[in-house]
Amino acid sequence: MEYSYKNRAFTNYYHADNYNILVIAQKRKRENEMSEYSGNEAVIMKNVCKDFKVLNRHEGLKGSIKDLFSRDYKTVSAVKDVTLTVNRGEIIGYLGPNGAGKSTTIKMMTGVLEPTSGEILVNGKVPYKNRTENCENIGVVFGQRSQLWWSLPLIESFKLLRDLYMVPEKDYQDMIALYQSLVDIEPILHKPVREMSLGQRTLSDILAAFLHNPPIVFLDEPTIGLDVSMKAKIRELILGLNKEKNTTVILTTHDMGDVDALCKRIVIIDKGTKIYDNDIDHLKTYFGSYRTLKIKRADDTWEETLIDDKTTDVMDVIMEKRKTMKIKDVKIDEISTEEVIKKIYEGSAK
Amino acid sequence: MHKRGLGFYARIYRKILIQDLKSKMSYRADFIISTFGMIMTNLSGFITFMILFHNFPTINGWDYYHMLFLYGFSLVALTPVQCFFDNNWNLRFMVQSGDFIKYCFRPVNVFFYFISEVFDVKGLGQLAFGIGTIIYAWIKIGIPVTPLVIGKLIVFLLTASLFMIALMNFAAATCFWIKGSGYVMVIMFRFKDFAKYPSSIFEGIFKIIFTFIIPIAFIAYYPSLVILTPDNVPLLSWISPLYGILFVFLSYKFWMLGVRKYDFTGS
Amino acid sequence: MNPKRLLAITRAGIMESLHFRLGIFVTLFANLIYLVLVYYLWKAIYASSGTTVVNGMTFEDTMIYLILATALFNFLEMFVVWDMSRSIQSGKIVLDLLKPMRFRKYTFWSYTGNHIVQFVLTFIPTFVVVMIVTKGAIPMGLNLVWFLAATVIALMINYNIEMLIAPICFFTESTWGVNIVKETIVLLLSGATIPLAFFPEKARMVVSYLPFRAVYDIPLSILLGKNGSDTWQGLVSLFALQLAWLLVLTLAGNLFWNSAVKKVTVNGG
Repeated sequence: MEYSYKNRAFTNYYHADNYNILVIAQKRKRENEMSEYSGNEAVIMKNVCKDFKVLNRHEGLKGSIKDLFSRDYKTVSAVKDVTLTVNRGEIIGYLGPNGAGKSTTIKMMTGVLEPTSGEILVNGKVPYKNRTENCENIGVVFGQRSQLWWSLPLIESFKLLRDLYMVPEKDYQDMIALYQSLVDIEPILHKPVREMSLGQRTLSDILAAFLHNPPIVFLDEPTIGLDVSMKAKIRELILGLNKEKNTTVILTTHDMGDVDALCKRIVIIDKGTKIYDNDIDHLKTYFGSYRTLKIKRADDTWEETLIDDKTTDVMDVIMEKRKTMKIKDVKIDEISTEEVIKKIYEGSAK
Repeated sequence: MHKRGLGFYARIYRKILIQDLKSKMSYRADFIISTFGMIMTNLSGFITFMILFHNFPTINGWDYYHMLFLYGFSLVALTPVQCFFDNNWNLRFMVQSGDFIKYCFRPVNVFFYFISEVFDVKGLGQLAFGIGTIIYAWIKIGIPVTPLVIGKLIVFLLTASLFMIALMNFAAATCFWIKGSGYVMVIMFRFKDFAKYPSSIFEGIFKIIFTFIIPIAFIAYYPSLVILTPDNVPLLSWISPLYGILFVFLSYKFWMLGVRKYDFTGS
Repeated sequence: MNPKRLLAITRAGIMESLHFRLGIFVTLFANLIYLVLVYYLWKAIYASSGTTVVNGMTFEDTMIYLILATALFNFLEMFVVWDMSRSIQSGKIVLDLLKPMRFRKYTFWSYTGNHIVQFVLTFIPTFVVVMIVTKGAIPMGLNLVWFLAATVIALMINYNIEMLIAPICFFTESTWGVNIVKETIVLLLSGATIPLAFFPEKARMVVSYLPFRAVYDIPLSILLGKNGSDTWQGLVSLFALQLAWLLVLTLAGNLFWNSAVKKVTVNGG
């Protein structure tokens, strides 16, 4: 059974529409391979589901009045049968459209929510059963909400965290020194968080998350709203820390720049199910035949077209375009990660 | 896994508390006005009291000075909840906005962490008022001053404070289940105004409700009887410490249950 | 001021309030419990006093007064200052000030929806219950109409007081402090905690000219036919007082508000 799936997938290997089948095959393979916690997995999720009860609300004023007394609840499946394994030291990109169920799965991994069914093991333990123990071993940066003390200079927050997590003084000093070597923290170390710019605040939160040297760090949209140089700085920081401390990083993001810079592997969630789980290179390979054709117009603006090399000849397209417009310059790029993700989203919608 | 004992929590509490005070000090105008506000509230309470007694010289057999003692006693009993558990008022908003989740990411008890973030200095003003009133009434009634009586006073003041803490915990925790339940906290807070009256005014089923379920009677009435009528102390006064501990424990459990059951779908 | 617009805002306000359905029931229930407390307290007070009438009020009078005052309190309560201060802290105030309608008017009408819900769900049931329990102690007649009018004016006065308080909160960055002072003063001097009838003579004289009375005491007096409101002269003088204060506060509010908007300090980066 598995062989025939693999075979079929192999012949259609480069056809985007059948990547689904390949995913299913790989999923089966992984599930069968998944043994008990062997020490090398940071996170194991097996058939995890999460349902929420939501009131069926009706429209309009009359509807609101009726709702006042209604007991009509519906069950919303935020997460449907997700299975995932993350190994130590990996930086994985956790992608998906808004409302796909990403933050729900993260909340379950951090022990804040209890799954409706299925198993989760983080660092070999069940997160929601041992919340405090789990928290010792994770770092979290959640959205734009700072977890630091608002009016305190950053160094005071660090000291408080050092005490909260019972970090030995030497380890603490080493960590600060490491930070100093990776990014220049001197200017913000004595600033209260409320006086910091968004970029500095995000940087501080990330530093705080790594401070107690947790094996796993969850970063939720860390580069959102930041300028280009700050984004670069933060990506460097994450890479540096991952290298130095072998920290597993689960990075939720919408920014493809983050994905390109940091992740070797990405997991895509949509409508509560996992629709893709593989290396980023594989992704490019699926869509390897796609090219981005960039044509510079007469007014110096660029026009982009996505072309499937297998069905359409790039040269033909250029020739066609030449008939109707003046071409000042031509560039042919690989398909961008963003386009790939878009195609996957579209594919799952079918 | 690090073991976190009482010593750890005590040290952390001190540190977090000091930080809160430091940051509050920087808002000087707010500090002054809030202290003034506290004085106003206490003054208003006194004025209400005075007006009442202007028209009605006794209430249920309690005369002016005994009532005053009860009033002072309740003020002191209400100070711990005002000073240490003030953050409960913010619970609703933090849960609604989703900011509450950050308390669940630290390897410390969530209730402790949440409550320890805020210390309300203004409550100390109320303490001063309360102690002053107790002393004044004490002198006027002529209660003898012995180490035993002082000891009893302290013990039963502490006991009494447990009840309001528990009530506010219950009220605040409703926000985990019910949206827009902020009024419950406001009402609980207004209930405390009735703690300064003798609970003998209640009858029947309500006597039970206001003694055991919403134990207003235990905030000042029963504990103070130990001092005021030492020859005739009702059984309930003696069991108030036990009931207080039980009640506060239940409220803590309820609060934590709310954290566990909550969907965290704030945002 | 487009009536269609106003209606839309009010409707939105109603729907939003109904959203918190369990919260509404909880509020109602909490109120009832509070009223039980009030009942027993005053019963004991009157029992101990030896006479049935104190300062012109019987036990029944006092009860009815306080119950309706509590119900009215729910209705009039506005979290304007709290919402506004939160909106300033989060920076959202900038969005609000940009909306097409003038900020103050818009805020007023958006709270109207909530008020209507409160009135229907809290005040009216309480009123009905009191009528049943006391077997019709509240006179039913034209006074109901006047009462509604007085209540609307009281609402506007309350709103103006809030709008006056709001800029003070911003300047001092102290929301709780200022608000508590205001609430304490209003509740005490408006007759909501203790009916004004019980105030000592001289105090009562002074208090009866303050605006706070216009918020609770006047509407309730009109409803219950007290304080001379059962005569035309009495009624008119009460209304006159209310309207006078409304005028004064609206003007003061306008001045204060406009100068405050110019100086609003927005928090955060």
